[in-house]
Amino acid sequence: MATVSFREVVKDFGKTRVLHGISLDIADGEFVVLVGPSGCGKSTLLRMLAGLEDISGGSIAIDGRVVNEVDSKDRDIAMVFQSYALYPHMTVRENMGFSLRLRDEKRSLIDERVARAARILNLEPYLERHPRQLSGGQRQRVAMGRAIVRDPKVFLFDEPLSNLDAKLRVAMRSEIKALHLRLRTTTVYVTHDQIEAMTMADRIAVMNEGRIEQLGEPLELYDHPANLFVAQFIGSPAMNIFDGMVRAGAVEALGSRWPASRGAEGQKVKYGIRPEHLEPAPSGIAAQVVVVEPMGAETEILVKVGDASLTVMTRGRSTAGPGDRIFLAPQAAHVHLFDAASGQRI
Amino acid sequence: MTSRRLLSEAKLWLVAIPVLVWTLVPIYHIFLFSISTKDSAFSGRLWPEHPTLRNFGTVFRQEHFYLHHFWNQIWNSLWIAVAVGALTMAIATCAAFAISRLKVRGGRTVMNAALFTYFIPAAFLAVPMYKAMGNYGLLNSRWSLVLAMVTIASPYAIWVLKQASDKLPWELDEAARIDGATPLQLFRLVYLPLMVPSLVAIFTYALLLAWNEYLYAFLLLSHENTIPLAVGLGHFLASDDSPWEILMATALIYGLPPAAIYYAFRRYMVGGLTSGAVKS
Repeated sequence: MATVSFREVVKDFGKTRVLHGISLDIADGEFVVLVGPSGCGKSTLLRMLAGLEDISGGSIAIDGRVVNEVDSKDRDIAMVFQSYALYPHMTVRENMGFSLRLRDEKRSLIDERVARAARILNLEPYLERHPRQLSGGQRQRVAMGRAIVRDPKVFLFDEPLSNLDAKLRVAMRSEIKALHLRLRTTTVYVTHDQIEAMTMADRIAVMNEGRIEQLGEPLELYDHPANLFVAQFIGSPAMNIFDGMVRAGAVEALGSRWPASRGAEGQKVKYGIRPEHLEPAPSGIAAQVVVVEPMGAETEILVKVGDASLTVMTRGRSTAGPGDRIFLAPQAAHVHLFDAASGQRI
Repeated sequence: MTSRRLLSEAKLWLVAIPVLVWTLVPIYHIFLFSISTKDSAFSGRLWPEHPTLRNFGTVFRQEHFYLHHFWNQIWNSLWIAVAVGALTMAIATCAAFAISRLKVRGGRTVMNAALFTYFIPAAFLAVPMYKAMGNYGLLNSRWSLVLAMVTIASPYAIWVLKQASDKLPWELDEAARIDGATPLQLFRLVYLPLMVPSLVAIFTYALLLAWNEYLYAFLLLSHENTIPLAVGLGHFLASDDSPWEILMATALIYGLPPAAIYYAFRRYMVGGLTSGAVKS
């Protein structure tokens, strides 16, 4: 159990700077997810914490001790790789006990720790098998078992679920979360999947182009995105965003007046509203239905307002069909306004 | 089977059969000579009138002038071949690990420089090598041939093993490093076990190369008791009236160990040990 802190961390690959001074404090026992599009630097940041990449500038500390010059093996961390990285010539038991064997631990202690991890992960029947005899989900669990056995200060996960199919991914997501609740080990988890981030994290750091765009609890990010990038990245289906101008206490956009309570008169803005906050109503902003996607509990409707395509999410079923004219009522309390030039929240 | 597949199969056979004949006829010829009596060896028949195993007896009992050191020489051949195989494997493995996994600075340059030596024909190097071994006082010692052959086999061996190591998933090294492995432990506990098929292949390659070597053996070793059998066989041709049937019987015996070794290790010539390491 430990805290982790990044101080103005910089990473250069040759002349290219991929991380521009990242600062982030992770509390003891916290589950922090680094999320962002590919190439945003999230994996690099994790690998620097793991000691697999040099630190070009700034400092990284685990439990108050700066580890910039400390070897991976002396950082007391465990990492789960996207590709599992199991030793193919060792059995599940040997894979999980490998780190303890390297530490010259007693045979009895290794057996006990491996047995405990196997029990937690339901791997007991597979201990004598080789990785090639396991399914993807089982391999992923062995990789986690290898991490648990070490009882490290910090768990690192590098896109651990990307190689699993959708159903297994959801199941493993809950398993990892349950594991964290049980062990309470500080965890840094990298993913490009915002749903994974939302469902698992205590706090999320949304990264883009080597910077943290916003750091906060999942719903805080969802309800109050700090800028356009976070607004577009978090949430599925994505937030509707279009250009507009503040006029007399509302925003004029797409040929209609949209409710808004902020923004200076005449200011050019990006108007953002999530699909579920844009419901069909008896009257309001006129829209033409393009596609209706019923999903049972809710219905996603793709509409055209002016020349923009918007997504509307409505609870229950919809009677509207393609080509129909409907009216939309944006919920004023859930409107997000961003400055058109800077992209920052107003 | 569709006619198209039939056609492609037929083409393969068209290539395979001549290759097979090309390979087997000389071997059959050797075999034929070795079971013929001296008089019938050149009779031109496909099967001798009175096949005999006497020639082999002559060889094993060292009963011919050219064969007085037969057992000694075949032991030399074996000793030298195994030593070359083992040394080459050890050197190439360490080099490949350093270049491919530890990414030692300048490693690639060293490997390319070593490969560059293949531009110089081995025959060209024979005289300098002779001189060098003379300087070291190794002439007429089996070690001179071992060192020479290791020099010749290593660059290729390093290159092959480097290619094979490059295919091992890099995440394994990282996982091992995080698990607390030192480079030496990584080498011993992760790298070596996964490289076994390639190591066996390289060992076999170097061993056969040394087993078959004639030029350097002829040059560096000249005493009856230190020469390998390849050179011993060459001595048969020194006289005008060579005992062909005994030469061929010896040659057949000489050809058996490599065949046996290749057969024993054939399983390792195909990979597949790394399956299951990472999702592919």
